[in-house]
Amino acid sequence: MVKLKFLMFIFIGLLVFPMAFSCEEKTGKSSLPKLGTSAIDFNCEDLKGRTWNLDKVRGKIVLLRFWADWCPYCRYEMPIIDKYYRILNKEGFLVLAVNVKQSAEVALAFTAQLDVTFPVPLDPDGKMARRYGVYAIPTNFLIDRQGIVQEILIGEVFRKEQVLKDLLQGYFSRRLGALEKSFPRRVA
Amino acid sequence: MIKSSIPLIIIFTLILVSSPIFGSGGPDYETVNFKGQKLSLKRDPLTRSPLIIRGVDSKLLEIRNFSKLSRKEITYTGPILVNKYKSLLQIASDQLKLKGAEKISDTWYVSYWQTFHGLIIYESSLGYAIDSSGCIKSLGALIYPNVKAPIASKVSHDEALKIGQSQIKDFKKLRCILLAESVLIYPVRKKNSIDFYRVYAFNFFPKEALHPASVVGGWAVFIDTQTAKKVLYEELLKPLGCCIPEDFVPPKPGELKPKWLN
Repeated sequence: MVKLKFLMFIFIGLLVFPMAFSCEEKTGKSSLPKLGTSAIDFNCEDLKGRTWNLDKVRGKIVLLRFWADWCPYCRYEMPIIDKYYRILNKEGFLVLAVNVKQSAEVALAFTAQLDVTFPVPLDPDGKMARRYGVYAIPTNFLIDRQGIVQEILIGEVFRKEQVLKDLLQGYFSRRLGALEKSFPRRVA
Repeated sequence: MIKSSIPLIIIFTLILVSSPIFGSGGPDYETVNFKGQKLSLKRDPLTRSPLIIRGVDSKLLEIRNFSKLSRKEITYTGPILVNKYKSLLQIASDQLKLKGAEKISDTWYVSYWQTFHGLIIYESSLGYAIDSSGCIKSLGALIYPNVKAPIASKVSHDEALKIGQSQIKDFKKLRCILLAESVLIYPVRKKNSIDFYRVYAFNFFPKEALHPASVVGGWAVFIDTQTAKKVLYEELLKPLGCCIPEDFVPPKPGELKPKWLN
């Protein structure tokens, strides 16, 4: 009987477990994180069903980005970000482009249209965005290999590709330096 | 008792673990033969419309003399694409309304809304990338094949606006402004079907929010044109087309018109 209770306990645990799979944060912060401090932890699932949290991305340079498809400024930065993600992914650059308050179908159609390859976690109720103090989109947080927030960029900043390149140069100088000539500038 | 329960628990656990919520449900792509062309599709589970269409070893569309086309001519590619894959997409090309077309590096990104009797369907989209040689390899879409929605409003605009304003607590105190409004078709996804509402869509923002550096957001309120009932109330984040430098000193309220208002 004790064994059965134990098994039932595990079983109920498995039922409750999926609740942790929405974008959820583990702290009660509600304003923008301070530069030089630890990033706020999160737990979210992307369009491919993969889960992401700070532990999982530790050791990588992470661009944590909040966006929505109705925001035109978010749209046209995506291919530029994806270009650097494709180049630097194997060297430890990770983009987590968190869709705020939209359905998986909206996010999926949007990312397919732009043919972007980076992970797109979902924040359907906006909780993660709120905890990160996001009040405008796009908002980008650059988190270093130790999980420290190094940059916060609010608004459309990467339309000028050079801004993103400069941002990443400090972490991937050898790679980006060597590629400099092959980077075409955006054509208006 | 215990022994007989164990297999059931194991089976149930396996079903749970293999469910999509655990992220191992698979990509759900299917391969179809469309008029001799092999395509990879991912469908909307509710409407069965394609969310993604990719050519397998082929392009969806190849545009000749692409480099010579003007922006306007490039925006005609959407209707051509929809006509070509009409039986898959199940919408007509005249239902498209251009959302955006922009060139980034060597690639054009083109997107459309779906419309119903001239009204935009909220969050609908159909879009694709065209590479420098004029090839479209895939498209992404959130479209609705059989929209059933009212084609006229029963509630007046002014009445709806009053109801919309009344949804915002301290509307006058916050000096709220109606920043954008339109009549839309608002699809509400239910478990096995979709309800389509014809709505007045209002975006309200407090005056304080208009400054780019202000952390104050606004609200979206959708009022049903048939019943005058609120069908959506949502806090809005601001879309910011400009960046806020670190050393930015906020000017006095009302001094600046933010870029995102344009």
